[in-house]
Amino acid sequence: MAIIEAKNITKIYNPDKIPVKAINNLSVEIEQGEFTAIVGPSGCGKTTLLNIIGGLDKPTEGEVKIDQVEIANLKEAELTDFRLKNIGFVFQAYNLIPVLTAKENVEFVMLLQEEQKLKRDERAEDLLAKMGILEHMNRRPSELSGGQQQRVAVARALASKPKFILADEPTANLDSTSTTSLLEIMSKMNEEEGATFVFSTHDQRVIDKAKRVITLVDGQVVKDEKR
Amino acid sequence: MIVTLAWKNMLRSKCRSFVVIGAITVGVWALIFLFSFMNSFSEAYRRNSVNYEYSHIQVHHPDYLIEPDIDKVVSQLSQLEAYLEERGILRSISKRQIVSGMIGSAKTTSGVRIYGIDPDSEGATTSLKTHLLEGNYFNKLKRNPILLSREVADKLNLKIKSKVVLTFQNIQGDITSAAFRVEGIFNSTSPRINGGVVYVKNEDLSRLIGFRGVNEVALLFDDIKVIEDVKIDLKSKFDLSVSSYRDLAPEFDLLDQQSTISKQVLTSIIMLALLFGIINTMLMAVLERTREIGMLKAIGMQRVRIFLMIIFETVVLSLVGGPIGLVLGYLTVWRTGTTGIDFSAYADSLSQYGYGTMFYPLLEADMYLILMVTVLITALVGAIYPAYKAVSLNPLEAIRKV
Repeated sequence: MAIIEAKNITKIYNPDKIPVKAINNLSVEIEQGEFTAIVGPSGCGKTTLLNIIGGLDKPTEGEVKIDQVEIANLKEAELTDFRLKNIGFVFQAYNLIPVLTAKENVEFVMLLQEEQKLKRDERAEDLLAKMGILEHMNRRPSELSGGQQQRVAVARALASKPKFILADEPTANLDSTSTTSLLEIMSKMNEEEGATFVFSTHDQRVIDKAKRVITLVDGQVVKDEKR
Repeated sequence: MIVTLAWKNMLRSKCRSFVVIGAITVGVWALIFLFSFMNSFSEAYRRNSVNYEYSHIQVHHPDYLIEPDIDKVVSQLSQLEAYLEERGILRSISKRQIVSGMIGSAKTTSGVRIYGIDPDSEGATTSLKTHLLEGNYFNKLKRNPILLSREVADKLNLKIKSKVVLTFQNIQGDITSAAFRVEGIFNSTSPRINGGVVYVKNEDLSRLIGFRGVNEVALLFDDIKVIEDVKIDLKSKFDLSVSSYRDLAPEFDLLDQQSTISKQVLTSIIMLALLFGIINTMLMAVLERTREIGMLKAIGMQRVRIFLMIIFETVVLSLVGGPIGLVLGYLTVWRTGTTGIDFSAYADSLSQYGYGTMFYPLLEADMYLILMVTVLITALVGAIYPAYKAVSLNPLEAIRKV
């Protein structure tokens, strides 16, 4: 069963002024455990699609179901809670909390889920160990390299045990070594823990690693390749 | 962790936090000192009024305050004294014979109120003895000594040992005159006393009047808290007019009201300045962290939690700045309250309004708590708009913000 179902979604920005159609009657389904890359030229609607799937934006038309829940019908507080419980986010600019340590950043999302301290500690350390940065757990983001920060961000995204993780250009700010290392980790998490990843990317190394590649052009799926 | 996060966010921009904490500290300190300084004026006025003019309670004939005639005397005097003796709360008592008359010198004459007093008990009840500028306090001249103020002395061109003539009606209504000699010249803080009260021995005055009755009994207690209680008690037991210094001087209520209004205005001004300072600072803090707040909303932090986080950050700033201001304020009040603040340079103008030259700041203990709560409320109110701005951020737009 599909964990993400987007049916006939259209997204038009500035509908009243100069309308820009970012997504055009797009439908896509993503299964549990997939490692999917959404690719395409700039402005093709990759990020818009991710935002809509992540419940951060609403489609102008069409419906989006996450685990059979139509998210367009949720109120803001319900949607926030839904994101907390179901979706992990990895941002291009890492977006870690600068005053918290790596471990505290990972713990934070579990704290929002009101997990017990012991469980939080255990899971945060476990995830940081899997990311290979346990020894840096007490460092603040400013004391970590870009690659290390992005690994903390992935650990944070996984910490809440989400149904899937959305990553918008996760390797855009990373050097080659950090990109390879991060991809290895995410791929391992996908294979070993069954974590579902959906990326938007331009990066050929990410595309090469993906098990499914959805190509968008002008807001429409022009190619959907499963490997 | 929200508490920890708020604390760490506060330390994120140390300089900015320091400025806000400093503003809160200075605001609280300034309010405490201003309040205590205003209190010192009220207290100085009260103290001077009690010490020079009214004592704590005055007892008169029931009609004396309406028509102050020499024959309206305090009856049941011995019972009154016995009762006060029995309660054991009295520090001193002064019995006065009071008559209106004229004082004349070789230069001019002037209308005065002549107080016939027992020097020892008057000295124990009022500060007359300690405010002599020249001469002696009824202990040099044996016959008809008189104490008068510098103002009266200057007006009549009198010096120590100058002769004056007092003219007044005796108990029969006949005009009587007698010569007195100036033994002492004082300067009271009471404009009324300076302007027209002279003191003679009660034995001299009663001899001239031909009557030994007492028109006014002034009572001074060890503890001012008993005043109202004693007043009610005396009223119920004796058919006499019993007035506290507050009854005799309605300006006390006016002063208290003025003081309260001034404090409220000062508090409002300082808290308003603090409010805008807090709004500005917290708004900057929110705007600087737009992307971070957007991320928090995106990953699932509810609006109410973001709101509370901003509120808590502000409260933490107040909880640091407020107590520092309280401690500094307390130390300032304690120090200046002990040593006093000397306003001798303004002695002339102060005395015209019934003030001495030393002021001792003081502040009631509950005012410290009230100020702390006021600062906290101000901080909370100041945090509402920045917190509202934070929760109103669209996570998608906020995350994109550079």
